[in-house]
Amino acid sequence: MTSDRMTSDGMTSDGMTAHRTTGAEVVAMLRGSRPVWAFGVLGVTWLAAILFADGFDSVSNVRYLVQTASFLGIVAVGQTLVVIMSGIDLSVSGVVGLSAVVCAKVASGTSGGATTAVVVALLLSALVGAVNAAGVVWLRVPPMVMTLATGTVLAGALLVYTDGSPSSARVPLLDSLANGRVLGVPWAFVLWLAVTAVAGWLLHLARTGRYAFALGAGESAARASGVPLAATAFTAYVSCALLAGVAGLVLLGFTGTSSLTMGNPYQLLSIASVVLGGTSILGGRGHLLGTVGGALLLTLLTALLTSWNLSEGVRQVFLGVLIIGLLLVYARERRT
Amino acid sequence: MRERITSLTRSNTDLVWLVALLLVLLVAYQHYDSTLFTPASVTILSAQFLPLILAAAGQTTVMLLGGIDLSLGAVLGLAMAVFATYEAQGAGGVVTAAVLALGVAGATGAVNGALVAYAGLPPIVVTLAASFLWSGVTLVVLPQPGGHVPAGLVEAYNNGWYGVALPVVAITVVLAGWKLVRTTRHGLALYAVGGNEHGAYASGLHTRGVKIGGYALAGVFTGLAGIGLAIQTGSADPTIGTPYTLNSIAACVLGGISFFGGVGRMRGTVLGALLIGLLTNLLLFTGISPFYQLIVQGVILVVALALKTYVTREATA
Repeated sequence: MTSDRMTSDGMTSDGMTAHRTTGAEVVAMLRGSRPVWAFGVLGVTWLAAILFADGFDSVSNVRYLVQTASFLGIVAVGQTLVVIMSGIDLSVSGVVGLSAVVCAKVASGTSGGATTAVVVALLLSALVGAVNAAGVVWLRVPPMVMTLATGTVLAGALLVYTDGSPSSARVPLLDSLANGRVLGVPWAFVLWLAVTAVAGWLLHLARTGRYAFALGAGESAARASGVPLAATAFTAYVSCALLAGVAGLVLLGFTGTSSLTMGNPYQLLSIASVVLGGTSILGGRGHLLGTVGGALLLTLLTALLTSWNLSEGVRQVFLGVLIIGLLLVYARERRT
Repeated sequence: MRERITSLTRSNTDLVWLVALLLVLLVAYQHYDSTLFTPASVTILSAQFLPLILAAAGQTTVMLLGGIDLSLGAVLGLAMAVFATYEAQGAGGVVTAAVLALGVAGATGAVNGALVAYAGLPPIVVTLAASFLWSGVTLVVLPQPGGHVPAGLVEAYNNGWYGVALPVVAITVVLAGWKLVRTTRHGLALYAVGGNEHGAYASGLHTRGVKIGGYALAGVFTGLAGIGLAIQTGSADPTIGTPYTLNSIAACVLGGISFFGGVGRMRGTVLGALLIGLLTNLLLFTGISPFYQLIVQGVILVVALALKTYVTREATA
């Protein structure tokens, strides 16, 4: 498989001493290991933030940063699974909203308790993923259109379900999950790390991951060599939707209210995290850890821009330009 | 020759399907609104449909090049904001505002095109980042809904100008312009580059230039859509463009534009956009909650595409 490794062989000390490396070779090696770039840029940005903005060196700030990054990060982990197999999920914003809205409504209603609410929300999220996969695999609808369509359907369904005004609910379980800490580390961050570990095993160690990489590198060749498209697609899309659902629940715990549009920021940002993390949007190449770096980087950049009291518009301009700039530096596709 | 004939009939069967569907919709529409074919109705409906038709035309241009434009909604909002914030006095002022808005929209398209052509980034990534950028610029130009369009223009556009439906004229002129472009080398190059980039390059086409030109043209189409929307509503809203990204893609897909570039006709897109517009209105007539609109739209998109894939698979097998 052509997955990028966190430390490519050329970067170990062995490789450095074995022969004198020229500057071009170093650049080439760095190019080959994009997740390292993501974390490198993250480190530099963090340093810059500490030097040029107030409060970025404090523990509480770091804690808040990783906590808020978790919401995006959990969605982005799922998005990575789909993107690696050359799919894309544009319904994550809808699923985040779905899970939060449904959970809040069920939990605040008389019918069920918090556990029922959480289970129902997650089951529905997984169902959306299954529908996405079914459309992509059996109806042969391009992933972008399929997931856009389910996202649209979800937006409409939520409007119908809530009659336009979703309820708010304080679910103690979710509240402590989103805001609580263990040994000073936010539970949300712990959850994100756990999710990343499981997804990392799935993608980089388990057979399903190999299949996903193979499908991303070239579908017809992969199918010809016996890679099961349906099983892999279902695993990827259902995992992605499930994680978006989890993010929705954590967000519900964080804010205590649900809204129809609460997932919207995560749509583009999750894809941006994946791409900034060095995963090829065309599939077949990338590493999950890069996505973690990407999500942290985007959250840090947003926090930095906010700390400068820039208006919403200027912030978005900066973010757009920064994303394009970073991509130009290290995420170009190789010319074919 | 034979291949040409078969491909011609196949593209026309596409069209036949669309027209048939449209007729069914029109008959149903007529049932709810018997004034459908009066000049007043045509004017109002065309004013309402023009933004989507033109936005879909822009999306088509990009998709023919084998790309996809996720920044379309943002650019539409930007053009709208530029057009409406310019204090237009008289006809000259309106023209200046329009030229300004079109220039900005065309430039955003050219930037997208240049990044796609030279930077080696996939169109989906470029336009995704561009959507952040341009919606940010829009918010700087126009932080909240507002702006101003001369009342006379709004009135003439929405209710007819001496009995002439201005939106229809605008759409006709734009489509005639596209027809003209298509017959030139530049228009053909668009199809060539989208269909087979290496082949086009090997045949001596300046593929990068073609891409930049194509994306810029798409920007201009989107800009026209934004101007139309501004005139229709009499003001501008910086976030109104967002749904147009999905709807323009949906119109293209319904119209038979291929995701892989080089295949599809603009008339299909126009029919697709009309279909979506009529369907949306029809849903309103049926009296069910407008909330269902989105659900129906999504389902139709999937069903249409799945059917199309199924039918073409049968045909090629």
